Amino acid sequence: MKSFLRFIFALLLMFFLILAPWLFEKDYYIHLLVMACIYSMLAQSLGLIVGFTGQVSLCHATFYGIGAYISALLSLNYEMSFWVTFWFGGIGAALAAYIFGSIVLRLKGHFLAITTALFGIMVTLVLDNWVELTKGPMGLPGIPNPTPINILGFKIGFSSRTEYYYLALTFVFFMSTILYRIIHSRIGKAMLAIRENEEVAQSVGIDTMRFKLAAFTVGSGFAGIAGSFYAHYILFISPVSFTLSESINILVMMIFGGMQTFVGPIIGAITLTILPEFLRMTGALRLTLYGLVLILLIIFLPSGIVGSIKEKWSSSNEGK
Amino acid sequence: MIAVFFQQGLNGLVLGSTYVLIALGLTMIFGILEVINFAHGEIYMIGAFLTLFLTSIFGIPFLFAIPIAMIGSGLFGLLIQRVVFRPIIGKPMINGMLISFGLSVFLMNLSTLLFKADPRSLDSGFAHLNIRFLGLQITFERLLVIIIAILLVSILYLFIQHTKVGRAMRAVAEDREAAQAVGINIDRIHLLTFGIGCALASAAGSLAGAIFFVSPIMGWAPVIKSFVVVILGGFGNVMGAILAGLILGIVESFGGGYISYAYKDAYAFVILLLAFLLKPEGLLGGNR
Repeated sequence: MKSFLRFIFALLLMFFLILAPWLFEKDYYIHLLVMACIYSMLAQSLGLIVGFTGQVSLCHATFYGIGAYISALLSLNYEMSFWVTFWFGGIGAALAAYIFGSIVLRLKGHFLAITTALFGIMVTLVLDNWVELTKGPMGLPGIPNPTPINILGFKIGFSSRTEYYYLALTFVFFMSTILYRIIHSRIGKAMLAIRENEEVAQSVGIDTMRFKLAAFTVGSGFAGIAGSFYAHYILFISPVSFTLSESINILVMMIFGGMQTFVGPIIGAITLTILPEFLRMTGALRLTLYGLVLILLIIFLPSGIVGSIKEKWSSSNEGK
Repeated sequence: MIAVFFQQGLNGLVLGSTYVLIALGLTMIFGILEVINFAHGEIYMIGAFLTLFLTSIFGIPFLFAIPIAMIGSGLFGLLIQRVVFRPIIGKPMINGMLISFGLSVFLMNLSTLLFKADPRSLDSGFAHLNIRFLGLQITFERLLVIIIAILLVSILYLFIQHTKVGRAMRAVAEDREAAQAVGINIDRIHLLTFGIGCALASAAGSLAGAIFFVSPIMGWAPVIKSFVVVILGGFGNVMGAILAGLILGIVESFGGGYISYAYKDAYAFVILLLAFLLKPEGLLGGNR
């Protein structure tokens, strides 16, 4: 029964996602859908690090930014196509995460959280001040669109938002498939064990550092790919898109959806990308409300939407 | 050359003193409540605004306005402990971190709405009072930061070491269950810790506000650096925080003067990373 419902739900969701651009005809709504896809990639890849391995990273937007900058600089300076640069963006972010992670992942809890936050701040400083390479706070304009591709005779030129949307959906699909496979493998089980109790995991012979590093590297690499996509979609990047606040924003999306669940981060990303748009308000008022909602969320819905539904479900099942 | 060198050192001490005042509150709140309080910088900002309003609207002298603002911020600290932090005690650390971040965003932007984003200057009345000493020059405003920091730290030290309540606080920091077992009212200790921490941050904000400026976003950068101080000094370690705060202030001052001013906010992180590389097993007292 449960798996049947789940199957129906997944099918409906898939139909909805594929038909979405035809339901919301306005260009701006399709833009929001693309952004929701980008945030889904970010929230879900962060879910691997924080939700499933239990390592609180406050620098996810940093790797997102590293991917975006690598990809943008390669296409601007060497005229490489998006289809090449997004690999570099992802691998570059993963490599940076691997190096940084092998220094700091031995830290735990609050230490790790703050150190990653500071790493993010430092990278922002570098992006702001290394003007010769990054043009500093002015940002990098004029990043090229992905070069046109042919799929079964259909030419996709990436001139409309709908085409970007389907590409983003493809990315989300591949990433969640890979993440799903990781989570449901032996590696995923080891990661879960680390989250639940690192000492015990170590005592049964799990090389905890290796798995923590693996989760951090893969998750951050995916964030780099998301960054690369973002750069070639918005066609302009600047350091303000990759700050600590953005990292925390991604974390909030993940938690809002339900961080220890597989679909939670996606739901959180979609909700928190689209919902705020209905509250059309200016900067400070909007952020004041954001802060307030965040406080209320943590007090009243600490395990997120999907997490809470799961808890309800299992408790009502126990009751029977 | 030598004069410039010592001048930089002196400036570093001033800067370091504000870090010490912020970090002490942070480290106490961490030691006792096990919460990372991102909103601490906003208390620092609120303290600065309170002092600004007390001096400019009510005409209260700067030196009296600071303690009044400390009491005000301390009471506000009690309020946020009750409303925001009490519901999440014993929950995963990430909840505390995010709720305090939410509080920080909320307070920062609410103050932007109420007080406008433009930086304002806080007139302490001492701006033109220069003190010369062995060829060094310092405004009384800056000297005041060091003096008040020493005063407050000494009071705090005596309070923690020699009063019954202070002993209770140390007991809670060391072992919550055991402290509860011997009849210490944990809830009241939590409140008190928050109040004291916020009062200290308020003093730091008022003093820094007089030297630099007062604005809704003024608390963000200092509190992030104070986290470095808290880590370097060891979470919950008061003496460590004092030492690390002064070191960070001095390093930033020299780094900003001799290496690169643009990267002055990065030195904190560089120190931290070096510390991790040199002592990979964790800083002062191992990892938690």
